[in-house]
Amino acid sequence: MKWSRSRPAGYVALAAATALLLSACDGASTDDSTASAPPADGEEITLTVTTFGTMGYEDLYAEYEQLNPNITIEATNIDTGGNARTDTFTKIAAGSGLTDVVALEEGWLGAIMEVSDNFVDLRDYGIEDRAGDWLDWKYAQGTDPQGRVIGYGTDIGPEGICYRGDLFAAAGLPGDRDGVAQLLDGDWQHFFDIGRQYTATTGKAWYDHSGFVWNAMVNQLPEGYYKADGTLNVVDNAELRDRWDTLSAAVADGLSASQAAWDWNGGASFVDGTFATFMCPGWMLGVVQGNTEGGGGDASTGWDFADVFPGGAANWGGSFLAVSESSQHKEAAAALASWLTEPDQQVKQFEAAGTFPSTIAAAEQLAADATPNAFFNDAPVGAILAKRAEGVVAQFKGPDDSLIQENVFGAALQQLDQGTADGNAAWDEAIRLLDELVVNG
Amino acid sequence: MFSMFEKSPGGAAIDMAGEDDEPTRRPRRSFRQWLSWFDLKASPYLYISPFFLLFTLVGLFPLVYTLYVALHRWDLLSGKGEFVGFQNFATTLSDDFFWNSIGNTVSIFLFATIPQLLGALVLAAVLDQHLKARTAWRMGVLLPYVVTPVAVALIFSSIFRNAGDTSLANNLLSAVGLDPIEWKRERIPSHIAIASMVNWRWTGYNALILLAAMQAVPRDLYEAAAIDGAGKIRRFFSVTIPSIRPTVIFVIVTATVYGLQIFAEPRLFDVSNAGGIGGSQRQFQTTVLYLWEMAFFRQNLGRASAIAWLLFLLIVSIGLINFFLSRRIASGEESAAKVKKRRAGMKGASR
Repeated sequence: MKWSRSRPAGYVALAAATALLLSACDGASTDDSTASAPPADGEEITLTVTTFGTMGYEDLYAEYEQLNPNITIEATNIDTGGNARTDTFTKIAAGSGLTDVVALEEGWLGAIMEVSDNFVDLRDYGIEDRAGDWLDWKYAQGTDPQGRVIGYGTDIGPEGICYRGDLFAAAGLPGDRDGVAQLLDGDWQHFFDIGRQYTATTGKAWYDHSGFVWNAMVNQLPEGYYKADGTLNVVDNAELRDRWDTLSAAVADGLSASQAAWDWNGGASFVDGTFATFMCPGWMLGVVQGNTEGGGGDASTGWDFADVFPGGAANWGGSFLAVSESSQHKEAAAALASWLTEPDQQVKQFEAAGTFPSTIAAAEQLAADATPNAFFNDAPVGAILAKRAEGVVAQFKGPDDSLIQENVFGAALQQLDQGTADGNAAWDEAIRLLDELVVNG
Repeated sequence: MFSMFEKSPGGAAIDMAGEDDEPTRRPRRSFRQWLSWFDLKASPYLYISPFFLLFTLVGLFPLVYTLYVALHRWDLLSGKGEFVGFQNFATTLSDDFFWNSIGNTVSIFLFATIPQLLGALVLAAVLDQHLKARTAWRMGVLLPYVVTPVAVALIFSSIFRNAGDTSLANNLLSAVGLDPIEWKRERIPSHIAIASMVNWRWTGYNALILLAAMQAVPRDLYEAAAIDGAGKIRRFFSVTIPSIRPTVIFVIVTATVYGLQIFAEPRLFDVSNAGGIGGSQRQFQTTVLYLWEMAFFRQNLGRASAIAWLLFLLIVSIGLINFFLSRRIASGEESAAKVKKRRAGMKGASR
């Protein structure tokens, strides 16, 4: 009796529970069907934007909102490109959460290209009319294998050498920009030989850590970790191994300060002379300044920027703005992204954050302006970067490029820097990690 | 669920009362009666249902779905691939990195839990004394718990740096004439540094839980022990510790569950390696951190899910071991208490 009477209660509870659950599911499923409508004139639109690092967009957002009173921009900036990658990947995997405009970094664009249908084909929003604005290779990088264009190019990363003029002079080397450009002109072997002189004189390291140097050495090659046809290109890559040996010999001679990247002893290493040179793509200038100031330094610390790069022109990084397929306001989002990447805005972006423009007109203007940068000993950084961008070729980035750079070679280079492995052992470690993480991963 | 409610004495009593009334008065219930019957019978289930609904939604479903993912080849970005059975589990079990991460997790867990429990016990014992501004002291030990793990990790990662850099830990070492330590490079030092973050956060919290248990210990036990001539330390070990053993077990279980899932601390301890995968040689890569690398760097969601399930099974089995241990200890304690009572009774009689 007891049993039979209380069982219905259980059913009631269960039914109520199921009903609640079903209604909860119901609410969620209706969201998908809402299609994006073309924005009516004057309709109030809120656009969400995700960027990373120092993109220098804050003032431009305000300007755009002023030009388009019906648009409100909600921006999120993630501290580093690596964390932005995790953020973007997570949202793609979850199938929701991408903002209207998403900044994509060149290093992990290869992985994005495999799922490029998460982002709209910008040809539908007139990007082809602007195709001539960009450097050809930048525009091509934003195009997926099916020919859809998913990214408005923002900046590129032509590399020059940041150096401490005061330390150079103290070590008996020329400290002025032109002198340094002449001194370091040559291949990597030459760059490291000058470093050996410097280290012999001062007893201090030449560059901060091997990871960034290796990135530059690899990015400079016509083909890096991948061949242009998308196959892995590490194990039997004689050119890569040759550069590795050059680098590991330099590490063995004490040229690396073995610093923890993105920490640099809280920025102090930029000030106290732990190292004298630094690999500087355009966007890195802001990082150097920020860390120097974080470590208690300022313009008088002595950082300068020379128009030279070992082994010739090199590009590291650079970003794109994409519009997500899940956006409710694709047209408005594309309009914003397009506007942000126009030459005029790219010049302003450079002034705010040092990111070097990917449009030809903006680069030409920076070259012509040659505005001195007070922090870098009044170096005309824009004009120098414009020269450093000459001859840069885009390298094909495969789907696991950033994994190979960070988790495979990054880890092996740390062991090399720390002296726990010599050049051969560290290379073997890299190949082992490659097998483990990429080939069999 | 059902049986538990059925057996409750209150429910049975009410039921019986209903049985008496019902057949004599009315065979069919009025709406009001039906309502009150419903209130009586169904309400308890409705009241507890939010928990079970939420648990199903955010606990059970992800658990089952993770298993489903683990049985497939599953790329983070492109999604589901073919069904592979238990291959992801097999690969994980033969993966050196996985066992490395388990070793690191257990090592950090030991470095964290043992000092943490000892510290919490001592702290609780001190707080149990007659201190001035007692509440302030008790709130004080909880303060580190209020700070988020991320903030703690950022602060501690600059306290513990490598030998060449300036850091508080190495400054202190050199002040007493010791060599600086490569905190972020050597395995054991990095484990100690990470364990110190965990201890910093959890010692005070556990101390408060233990303190609550200590205050429930009958004071006459202490008096009896004192009369027997036991000193403070003897009383702590022979009265306090045995009396709060169930709480100690609880604290150990929660510390285990937390300790085996540690993520934020090693993730942020050294971000210079691929954004924080736990050291250049995975010296302090914990299992959850490895899971994260597998999912978001290697983009292999299938294997990441397999790791998650293996970790889940590990935690469950350790939980079960704890459960059986605690039952044995609890029953042991019961008999000990009986002996004590008998002895106390005898003492009382002899007096």
